[in-house]
Amino acid sequence: MKGSAKQKVPGGKLLSVKIEYNDEIESVQILGDFFLHPEESLGKIEDSIKKIKTSESAEKIAERVRKIVTEEGIEMIGVTPEAIGNVVKLAMVQWDGG
Amino acid sequence: MGWRVIELETHDPFLNMSIDEALCEGVRDGRSPPTIRFYRWSPSSVSIGRFQSMNDEVDIERCNELGIGYVRRTTGGGAVYHDLNGEVTYSIIAPESAFPKGIIDSYKEICNYVIRGLANLAMQAEFAPINDILVEGKKISGNAQTRRDKVLLQHGTVLYALDVKKMFTILKISQEKVSDKLIKSVEERVTCVSRYKEVSIEDLYAALLKGFTQGIDYAFGKLDESESERAHELAESLYSTREWNFSR
Repeated sequence: MKGSAKQKVPGGKLLSVKIEYNDEIESVQILGDFFLHPEESLGKIEDSIKKIKTSESAEKIAERVRKIVTEEGIEMIGVTPEAIGNVVKLAMVQWDGG
Repeated sequence: MGWRVIELETHDPFLNMSIDEALCEGVRDGRSPPTIRFYRWSPSSVSIGRFQSMNDEVDIERCNELGIGYVRRTTGGGAVYHDLNGEVTYSIIAPESAFPKGIIDSYKEICNYVIRGLANLAMQAEFAPINDILVEGKKISGNAQTRRDKVLLQHGTVLYALDVKKMFTILKISQEKVSDKLIKSVEERVTCVSRYKEVSIEDLYAALLKGFTQGIDYAFGKLDESESERAHELAESLYSTREWNFSR
């Protein structure tokens, strides 16, 4: 199945997520007008979310993101691991056609 | 630290972005001095943020019809329409150590050069974190920063004139939403120099130049041969490619 969702991060930027999933998340694309240093690390964040069971909570997804952010020394501006967790979950229940 | 200032030039979107990257490489390798450059875009172009989708943000068909360029930036942030006669863009490329370590603090410092520039036109502007500059509560400048290999790049645009209707024909906002109400709301949130002052775009550039160079040691200069060669190489191998521009 495909899903996508958008949300303005409170106090931050626009975050959009497109996913393909069945029992687990198969592919994920994180889009938006946020900032991330180094920029190449977005792929690592996306990879960290793959294979997560779709039944997992937004907090569990955020935890995975937080782990990779800490390990890789990624700096996020205008977006947070929590926001990514929330929008990924939201993308599983809606398809905004994007 | 001696700065090089490259005076207002006009380039296509690919070269504008690849010059910034060539200068980042040059500063990283100690071949290029810290540099401030000012430029315009011809053809008028849209630049999108590093993490945006070109097809989601830009009406490519409409751009092609109107001869408007499009490019993905190396920096994050949002989609910007760079009208040839509607704005002045700047880039500042220097060792990271020349600026505060905190991202917001460094935005604030560099945005302050823009604010000083606007003050030279008797316009009062203020920094609005994360990366905007406002006049009377309305956005007049958007800025984007990246740091790589201990080099800081910040580029940003200062709006001189604003054609909201044209902007909406290029940026992908569903046509139903481009109602008078929405256009009015953008006009209420965004502003430009020509709404306040009867000055030319060259006057705006002169004011910004003064704002950026106040109190620093600088000399006017151009790209040297190796910088120019590298910029052209990057324009061809990266910034003009479909792989880069449509990577998301």
